[in-house]
Formats: sequence, structure tokens, C-alpha cells
Amino acid sequence: MTTATTTVETVDTTAPADATTTAVETATPSPEPRVVLAMDHVSYSYTKGGKKVVDDLSHDFHAGRVISIVGPSGAGKTTVLSLLSGLTGPTEGRILYNGDDLARSDRYRFRSHDIGVIFQSFNLLPALTVEENITLSMEASGKTFDRPKHDLVVELLAKVRLPAEYANERILHLSGGEQQRVAIARALGYDPDIILADEPTGNLDMATQDDIMAIFRSLAHEEGKCVIIVTHSPAVADQSDEVFELKPLRR
Amino acid sequence: MFVLKNAWRSVVRNKGRNILIVVIVAIIAAAATIGLSIRNAAETARETGLASTNVTATIGMDREAMMNKAKQTASSDSSGSSSDSSSDSSSDSSKQPDFGSMRDALDQNALTLADYQKYAKASSVNVGTYYTETTSVNGTDAFQPVESTTSNEANSTDSSSSSGSSDSSDSATSGDAQGEGGQGGPGGMGGGMGMDSGDFSLVGFSSDEAVAAAANGTFTMSSGKVFGYDSSSDGDVIISKALADFNGLKVGDTITVADLSGDDTTYELTIVGIYKNATSSNTGANGPMGGTSSDPDNAIYTSVSTLKKLGLSTESTSSTDSSDSSSSSDSAATQTSASRTQLSFTYVLGGKSDYETFVKDVEKAGLDDTYTVSSADVENYESSLVPLDNLAKFALTLLIIVLAVGAVVLVVLNLFNVRERKYEVGVLTAIGIRKSKVAAQFVTELLIVTMIGIALGVAGGAAASVPVSNQLLAQQVSSQESEASSRQAQFGRDANMPGAPGGSGDSSSNGSSSEDSSSQGSSSSNGSSNGSSDSGSSDAQSSQPARSSGPGGFSQAVDYVSEIDATVNLKVVGQLVLIGLALTLVSALAGIVAIIRYEPLQILADRS
Repeated sequence: MTTATTTVETVDTTAPADATTTAVETATPSPEPRVVLAMDHVSYSYTKGGKKVVDDLSHDFHAGRVISIVGPSGAGKTTVLSLLSGLTGPTEGRILYNGDDLARSDRYRFRSHDIGVIFQSFNLLPALTVEENITLSMEASGKTFDRPKHDLVVELLAKVRLPAEYANERILHLSGGEQQRVAIARALGYDPDIILADEPTGNLDMATQDDIMAIFRSLAHEEGKCVIIVTHSPAVADQSDEVFELKPLRR
Repeated sequence: MFVLKNAWRSVVRNKGRNILIVVIVAIIAAAATIGLSIRNAAETARETGLASTNVTATIGMDREAMMNKAKQTASSDSSGSSSDSSSDSSSDSSKQPDFGSMRDALDQNALTLADYQKYAKASSVNVGTYYTETTSVNGTDAFQPVESTTSNEANSTDSSSSSGSSDSSDSATSGDAQGEGGQGGPGGMGGGMGMDSGDFSLVGFSSDEAVAAAANGTFTMSSGKVFGYDSSSDGDVIISKALADFNGLKVGDTITVADLSGDDTTYELTIVGIYKNATSSNTGANGPMGGTSSDPDNAIYTSVSTLKKLGLSTESTSSTDSSDSSSSSDSAATQTSASRTQLSFTYVLGGKSDYETFVKDVEKAGLDDTYTVSSADVENYESSLVPLDNLAKFALTLLIIVLAVGAVVLVVLNLFNVRERKYEVGVLTAIGIRKSKVAAQFVTELLIVTMIGIALGVAGGAAASVPVSNQLLAQQVSSQESEASSRQAQFGRDANMPGAPGGSGDSSSNGSSSEDSSSQGSSSSNGSSNGSSDSGSSDAQSSQPARSSGPGGFSQAVDYVSEIDATVNLKVVGQLVLIGLALTLVSALAGIVAIIRYEPLQILADRS
């Protein structure tokens, strides 16, 4: 089921492959980067014994890569997203983070600590300023920061190519693309291992789209993050290191 | 920390909504503060009012119970008197009840001095006692009672009772009907004075305390000094100034009085002092039948030990007809001064709680249930608290309504708040903040807001509670008084009901106004309250409100508690904070439930 496009093996020299147990099905060539997140025969149905939206899915997600999850409507993209982001747990199978079953660990901690999710509708709090939105997730992670949060926020804004004076702007005063960047900045604020983006380029123009993708690529390649993008855009899939295609289930 | 910070930020952010909640909570809190402080003050007034002052109590017989008992034993002719005896112990009915058996019953059950003292010892609390013994003696040629007229006209009553002057008695005859007085109902303090016949009442006091509580009110010595209580001062008496002037006596003179029996027994007494009643009360206005002995000016005060020495104390008389004069009212038995001696025993207790303990202890010690322990002080105090009690009830109602409405309003506001902020809950849980933390944040927000509201409300309520509660209390008092005055309008005089403040009624149309309706118990209950209401409203009230009448002193003016200290104290603030916490938690419950039921997955559908 998996189609591993063996395109780039670039700069990332993260940890060697260690999770041999989980990397069963992948046929990627040798210098295997670390498996951060893995799906292990995962199935999901909304009701017990009901129709399976996701059926027996397995895949490894490696650090330092940009992975696109593509598929037509109804293939379960959103379900996979919610499973990977720990918003819900699989009915069968396991989601493994660094080899640990998510079902047995604290999914709230996982969400606040280890994964940065960029939702399709951004889900920023409109009543808060840009900076408040970002620091909120930083505080939620419970991590300690060695520098003042404001400095970090300015740095993050620079990373997502927003001017520093946006820090005190209200979310509603921003354009869609700007909100997207703020959402990315929020996801990056607490330095998670995994970035998970849901249709990050959905309603953006081409130039902005390329810009955002460039940010993701640099996150993966330069900072060694595992970037997972759920998308239906072929352009986005083309720019990623790896494409994980979901096929619609036969009914 | 995170929760607190977020909560505070959120509070600041939603200023408009929170100010609204603060205002609502402040109003609720202010109303609750006033309500609570009124209740608190009423409670304090109730507890401390009599806690520190001495309370006097008396044991009196419950005539009704006793009559019933007697009737059961006699079981004859009980139907005729049953209705009458309940309303007025000795009112005449067409059918004659078995007076003999009743009197026997009353007589047998009279308590002796030893009995009284036994009960004082039986109590676990510290009980002080004093008692007076009252008897009647006749004058001699050399020593005559003060009286204005020797005529026997009934209409002299009108002038005497309304004048309030010292010469208020009318006839020296010893009417038989008068003898029905006797040892008054519960607490027959006045009974002694209303007794009968005789020219003088000879009152023996056991101690200074008893003298201070003299039935005729307080007095001052115009010359000489009060007798002592040991045997060395036996024979010493003090007499009223009017009596001394009337007879031209002065300190050091000797007087001779005769026994009631009419035989040659006389008693010689030495005047050691002349007193002047502080109140020029005309409590002796006993109507045409009243003897001069009931005139306060004809009261000769002495010590109990003197009476004992003269053989006039209760102990020295035979038990069968001691201390109850009613037995001899219309029987032909000869009366002696000794046989007419009445005992009035008073217990002094350290406070109201002591009084209550004493009542229980006495019952335990075997006091028959035909006797009741009563305290004029306590009862007077209780009736003075009526407006305060009403106010406390009102305050409770206010409190309940305010809290109920407040709770509903807060719950509704909070429900809307949480619905509005569902998206926020979704975002917060989606980025990995635990539901418990989110719930805690919401509750904290509400707490901050309500606490600010409560602080403002308490401040406002504290400022308002004293004037507001006094205003409310004044309304209660005036409504209580108007109730009384409407009664007066109905009766054309003071109604003979408890709790009515004494107004000045027109003097007796009926001829027999009595000093104390309970002690007199005579035929007309109709005019009985007038005599004392005249004096009671003006003078007696100010000096000795509690003692000038027994518990049955219906027309006794009541000084309603009209000031209340409704200052807000720490207790009230503490209670309010607790109430605020409870209200907050109750109203936050809606939010908490909504948060707990929120599935983080929903955030994917919540696309704002």
C-alpha cells in the first residue's frame, strides 16, 4: 500500500535506524533515518463494530523528512490526521511514538509536547494576539525556556517570515496566509519532534504556497523535524520528500 | 500557575461580560450581607441580651392543670367549670364547681419554703434566692393606715386610680370578694399586695436583693436606714413617708399593729427608717373592695426574721392553710395574720441559659407538673424581641430568595459563557491542555469575578446594613405597635392580650380595676388591666419593667428592641465567602460538565 518515493537523502544526518521492530513494511534504501512516528496495522471506525474508515494501515514516519499523505476524498485523510495527532486512538493496531504505544501513554502530553499540529482552519484563538496564541502553546507544553518568551516569539515570527510587529496584532486582523504562518509558529513554539499540517496550503495563492512549503522543508532538512502534511494538492506532494497515498476503501 | 495566569488573562479580556457578572454578584452579595448581618445581630441580641444580666425566676402553680387534676379526683360537677377555669381561674359560673375539693387541691400543692430551697439546691447552676413573706395586720387606735376617705362608695375608685397619687385607696372594709385573690398565678409577686382585708401589709424580706425587688417598686430612704436581716434587728421596720406623716411618726418610734383575727394579739414594731417610694404608683387602686393594705403607702417593710419571731412566717403556721389565702375567702374560718401569710420566692440566675438549665433541673428534681417555672425577665425580654424575630424571619426570606435568584442567574450566565467558548475549549484541548486544567481555568475565572463581586457587595452591604436594618426594625416595631393600637381601637382600651404595650385606657368603668389581673383573678376580667396600665405606661415601666408584674402582666408595656447592631463582622464575611464559593461551584458545574464532555476530536469540525 505504501509508495515510498526515494527522492532526497539530503543533509539530514539524524540518528541511525533503531526501530527495526516497527519498520517492517518500508522498503526505503539504506541510510535509514530515525523512525519517530509509526502506524502499526491501524484500523479505525467511529462506532464500535461499525464501518471502518481506516483499515489496517501501517507506515513509518522518519525524522528529517517531509511526508505528504494524499488520497481522494473519503480515503480517511482526516482520520489518519487525528490518529497521528493523538486527538483520538485507533480501534485496532497501534500508533507508536519513538517506539512507545500512544494508547498507553498520555495523549495530552503527546499533543502539547511532542507534536505540533497546524489545523486546516488554523484554530487560533481570535480574542488573543499573535504573541498570546504562540505563548499559550508554549506554556501548555510545560517546557522551560532559557530565553524570554517574547524573544522566542519574535524569532519564530522571523522563521515563518512575519515581521516582529505582528506580535501584538489580533488574529482577525491577519490574512489567511498570515494566520497560517502564525499557526505554524504556534506549532513550532515548543520545539516538537513532529509537525503535522492539515491542508496547509488549502486556500493560499501559489506564491504563498511555495513559501510555506519552503518553511516546512527547511524545518525537516535543517532542524531534523518529521513534517507530515495531509493534502490533496499534487503540487504539495511534489515538493515533499515522501508521499504516503491512501486508497479509498472498497465498499 | 498556568491555569491562574490564563484565567486572569481571560478575565481581563472579557471585561464587558465580567463586569456584568460582578455587578450581579455584588447586588446579591449586598443583599445577602444585610440579611446575614441582621440574622447575626438578632441572634447575638437574643443570646447576649440576658446572658450577662441576672434573671429572676419564680415557681408558680399552673392552676389550670391543678384544677383539672382536682376535678379528675373529685369527678363531680366537672362540666360546669371546665370552660371557665381555663379562661379565668375563679370566674363565677352559674353552676357551682366543687370549690372545696379545688381549694384542697390548691392547698395541698402549695410549696413551702423548704420546697423552694430544695429546688434551688437541686440545680446545677449557681442559683441565688430571695423571698418575701407578706401578711396583713390591722391598725390600732394609735396607728392608722393612710386613706383618703372612710366612705364605702364605689365611685371613689375613678378618682383614685387615675390620680396616681398616694392617697388612692378607698375603703377600709375588708370585702369578702377581695379574698379571692390569693397566691397569684405563676409568679404571684403582685399577689401579696393585692391580698385583702387588713389595714397594713406587713412584708418580710429575706435580703437586700428582695428589698430591691419589692413589689411596690424601688424606694429611697428619707430618714433612717433599712433594717438588718439577722435576729438582732428583729422588730425593726421601715414605713412609708406618707404613713409616717399621717401618723406623725419618726424614726425610733414604736408602732403597734393588731392581728387580723381580731383578738387581742398585737405586735410591737420599731421604726428604724422611713422610705419614700421612687414611683408614685397607684398600684393599690384595687377598687371599692380593696383594703388599705394594698395601698403601697400602707406597706410596712421588715425582715423575714422579724416575721418569724412574731410567729407570722409561713413556717410558723399550720401547713394546711398556710400561704394560700384563697382557702379562707368565703369560708367562715377565722383569719389570723399568720394564716394569711404568703410566700413569694424568687430565684436569681446568672443568665438566660442558666435559667433554662434551672428549669430542667427543677423538673428533674421532682417538681410536679402542676407547677411552672417562669421568669418575668425572660418573658418580657422575649416579647421585646418580637419585632427583631420578625425581622430575622424577613431577613431569612430575603436571603433565600436572593441566593436562589442569584444562583439561577449565575448558572444561566455561565452556561451561555461556556457555549460561547466551546471553540476555545476545543483549541485548548487540541493543543494538549488537559480538560481538568481547562475546567479549573474556567472555574478560576468565575471565582475571580465572583470574589470581586462579593468584595464590592460586602463593602456596600456593610455600609448599608446598619441604617437599613434599623429602618426595617423600626418598621417592624411600628407595625407591632399599630397592631396593638388597632386592638385598642377595637376594645376602646388596651386589649388584655400579651405583648400589647400599655397605653392609657380610660379608667375602670367597671369599678374593679385590679393591680394585677393574674393575681386578682376576680370576677371581671374586663376592667382588670386598666389600673396598671395607667401607672405602667408612665412610671413603673421605667423603673422596674420586669418585676412590677408577673408573667401574666398582660398590659405590661413592652420596650421593643428598637436598635440592632447589624455591623458586618468576620463571621458574616466568612459566611458570605462560603456562600460565594458554593454559588460559584454550582454555577460552574454547568461549564465543567460541558468541558468534560468535549471531545478534542470535535475541533476538526469546529472550523470557526
